[in-house]
Amino acid sequence: MQSLGFAFAIEPVLRKLYPDQAEYESRLWIHLEYFNTQPYLASFILGAVIRMEEDRTTGRNVSEDVSSLKAALMAPLGALGDTFFWGALKPFAAVVAVALLMTGHWWAPLLYLLFYNICHVGLRVGMLFWGYRSGGDAMALMARYSLMNMAKRLKLFTLTVLGGMIGMAADWRTEFRPAVTMSIPPIALVWLVVTLAMVVVPRRGGSPIKLMLGLAALCLALTYAGVIG
Amino acid sequence: MPMFDLHMILTIVGVALVGGFIGLDRTAVGQFMISQPIVVGPLTGWMLGDPGAGFVIGAVLELIWVLDMPIGAFVPADATISTVSATAIAALASPGASSLPVIGFSILLTVAMAPATMKADDIIRHWNSRLADALVSGPGPHLGRLLVRAHLSGIPVFFLKSFVLYLVFLPAGVAAVSVFNHFPDRVHRAMALFVKLLPLVGAALVVRKLSMRTVDLFFLGGFMIAALAGLLFHAPALIIILLTVTGGWLGARYRERRS
Repeated sequence: MQSLGFAFAIEPVLRKLYPDQAEYESRLWIHLEYFNTQPYLASFILGAVIRMEEDRTTGRNVSEDVSSLKAALMAPLGALGDTFFWGALKPFAAVVAVALLMTGHWWAPLLYLLFYNICHVGLRVGMLFWGYRSGGDAMALMARYSLMNMAKRLKLFTLTVLGGMIGMAADWRTEFRPAVTMSIPPIALVWLVVTLAMVVVPRRGGSPIKLMLGLAALCLALTYAGVIG
Repeated sequence: MPMFDLHMILTIVGVALVGGFIGLDRTAVGQFMISQPIVVGPLTGWMLGDPGAGFVIGAVLELIWVLDMPIGAFVPADATISTVSATAIAALASPGASSLPVIGFSILLTVAMAPATMKADDIIRHWNSRLADALVSGPGPHLGRLLVRAHLSGIPVFFLKSFVLYLVFLPAGVAAVSVFNHFPDRVHRAMALFVKLLPLVGAALVVRKLSMRTVDLFFLGGFMIAALAGLLFHAPALIIILLTVTGGWLGARYRERRS
């Protein structure tokens, strides 16, 4: 999975630490073993492994097993990173940007890139040094950043912003407004009811692709039935 | 004017090249989110002289795909290819500003194409894992050089995947839209309605993934804040979003204290 990428990332360090070609190749080969985690938090493991390799060459710690460290860290950090980055930070940034774009703010994509990357690059670089300094102490990492708590909060913020986006339906770009002219509360209320009705459908197992194809079929049926003029 | 003149062919190749490079951001290089629909939609629309189509398609597809996550062995649909293709098909098939029905039909076309992007991603990932397997047979001479070569060879493969899919999807899509233009007016109206309802599908998918409840109190709270702020104070969107985030923060604090 990511073993090639991990070995590629650590290769320059190993080349510097092990001037002996045979030892360098032997250590590099060890890092080609199975590795799979969340790509951003991989930097924490990378930092910890660099520290361990350094300690090994200086004789401070020659017994510790680098494979065990990687195996112990990749699953929990994978779960933590997926929950925080993919499941909380990215949806929050995206929903804020979509809400702004829907209400006519052309610069919303730039705000999205700026916000997400300040958080993502900052944490990615910070994790590399934190992993190096702590020697792979994941408990200290979780205590310091409390990513799980932040993820929980970001998910709730995402839901409120999303509700707010529906509440601003009257201010959406003209492409998304209904052809029938309505005053503010009815549009937003109608859209709220339709959204909640749609929440029920995917709960019964509909994928995004099926849902969109189903919606297109429904729109055709409504138009041909004369319900929509 | 013939449908596929030299200018159209060159534009399609140009979009395929740019789309291929941007697609690298998805997995192979960086992951700075340039490849996300909300960024790549407006960018493609701006490049092809139809930013409006890019805004609409980017916003809608971002909401729909944002929580389709690459967790474990699951390979999600390639939202970048869907967005770039939908925007480019709409812009190329109707120069100037695309009509709403054409935008809706373009989105529908790329949704139907999504399983092909998933299959292509699956094939590339298997090919990539074979690269690593070839190296792990044992330490040997030139392992470092072989490793670097194997790792970097994955990048052009990801690029080629997107490039080839664009070269297939875009001409097929433009041809399909020229047929769609002859469909009855009712089909066009249905596609316009489809676009208007898509943000609601996206919102529903996000609520479903983030909340256990069908009627989530935070979602409803955000709705109430926005509706009241808009109705009573005519507050601008940016202020309303800040208010909803503040409301979410207060609600989260209250929930944490209670638990």
